[in-house]
Amino acid sequence: METRNLGPTGHESTVATFGAIALNWLEQEGANQMVELVLDRGVNHFDVAPTYGDAELKLGPKLRQHREEIYLGCKTQERDYDGARRKLERSLDRLGVDHIDLYQVHGLEYEEELEEITGDDGALAAFRDAKEEGLIGDIGLTSHGNPQLILDAMDRIDDLATVMFPLNPVVAAKGDDDHDYEAVLERAEEAGIGTLGIKAFAKGSWPSTEELPEADRPYSNWYEPVDTPDEIRERFDFAASQGLSTVVTPGDPKLVAMVLDAATRYDGMAESEQRSLIADARHDDSPVPEQLHH
Amino acid sequence: MDVPRTVTTALEDRPIEGAVCLEAGAGVGNTTAGLLANGAARVYAVTDDRTHAETTLERVRSPTDDDGNDDPRRARNRLAVLEADLRAIPLPDDAVEVITAHGLFNVVPPADLDAIVGELTRVAAPGCHLVVDDYEPLPDDAAVRDLFALENAAARLADGEPMLTFYPAAALGRLFAGYGWTVDRRRTLLDPVPWTESHLEAHAAVVRSRVDALPADSELGAALLERADALVDGIGSESAGEMYSLALRRPE
Repeated sequence: METRNLGPTGHESTVATFGAIALNWLEQEGANQMVELVLDRGVNHFDVAPTYGDAELKLGPKLRQHREEIYLGCKTQERDYDGARRKLERSLDRLGVDHIDLYQVHGLEYEEELEEITGDDGALAAFRDAKEEGLIGDIGLTSHGNPQLILDAMDRIDDLATVMFPLNPVVAAKGDDDHDYEAVLERAEEAGIGTLGIKAFAKGSWPSTEELPEADRPYSNWYEPVDTPDEIRERFDFAASQGLSTVVTPGDPKLVAMVLDAATRYDGMAESEQRSLIADARHDDSPVPEQLHH
Repeated sequence: MDVPRTVTTALEDRPIEGAVCLEAGAGVGNTTAGLLANGAARVYAVTDDRTHAETTLERVRSPTDDDGNDDPRRARNRLAVLEADLRAIPLPDDAVEVITAHGLFNVVPPADLDAIVGELTRVAAPGCHLVVDDYEPLPDDAAVRDLFALENAAARLADGEPMLTFYPAAALGRLFAGYGWTVDRRRTLLDPVPWTESHLEAHAAVVRSRVDALPADSELGAALLERADALVDGIGSESAGEMYSLALRRPE
């Protein structure tokens, strides 16, 4: 599988990153099998979070067995120093490792959060101390919120090594600032920051719960994903051809193998074909940005 | 202003800034929006369809429009929507510096081609740029071909001429060359072309409108309509064919 430079981390990430939230929906044996499959396909970058149910615990056994082959990203939604430190230690404990390669501010949504994170007692101070102690490698940020806020964060955090944000034809088709994640990608490229693309496979929001109760949704993603091999491949090729360092696999385990197949076969996408996807998605609704109120 | 990627891509290498432009066949104003956003000094949007004329004006008037930090009111001042026939354009000779025809020629019957190309040439100033964006003929195995064939059949019955003709880029290039234009470049805008559910429904609606123009007891009309509806249901959506952008230049 193709690898790309992940900004100043010095890591060459595979063009697909395994979104380990998928492990949350599997029993331990199934989780082990999935990690083996992901490694078999050559993926070398995993991403997990304490908010992904049991994913950290389920990733643990195979992660420890293959620690040298895996570049590990984790994150926290804590915004203050003490909270972030506690969550980091808890993640290290649950994963059973002594080092996380990329530790990220998880799900930035509000301007006030950015204020708090960057303050003297903010999460970033805890990240930096942990970096000094060798507990983490680099600092990143994730958001599926307003692109302008991500741009602000990039301006204000000078040791940011990576950003994770949505990118797909539906948001690319929107011409307004609220969906301008391409501006985030462009700024990151200028600044040499690594980029991880999420929501590449988002087709739209789920129908209302009256129309389709949550329990009846065929996929565990919080958005409705594309789900045929051809669509998955188109979406992967689109995201990878935008220039992202790596594209994160979707949260439902049923889709992961299809995405790995697409990633293995990736060999670029013609610009006219990219525009076709954008044109096709022109009237679709995007599930991002969305305020998640965590 | 929301400008489709096909339009921005077709215009990106053309000198629109400060130019007097003609959008031939305004549609819903996508290319007008693109020309204004790129700093056109004036855009004459020509359409013979009252609804399209209104939609184009409305889009530029909308307070949510964004034409690149420009004041939408000023954008409106730079736009003149002309309800007119392209075979008789109400502009003087040599009046425009850039002409766009985005998705126009596929709705121009072969019999009208010559008159329209002649008029576009007449209003083009020496050195004028022309951008023709259209569709190559669809591949044989494209399911949407059947729907378009029905549309043409209904239009021929009602009006005596087809509704859709997909001219190859090379053919249009040679036609314009006959009027003194030279081809600057050809690029692919969409490959494949997404024919979405709403596109197909719009084409079925054309079949319906033409069948409505036939005598009420037309069995053939009813059969065409039934078939068109079945095709829309059966196809759903399809990606097929190529949309191209041909840029031409009139000698100085």
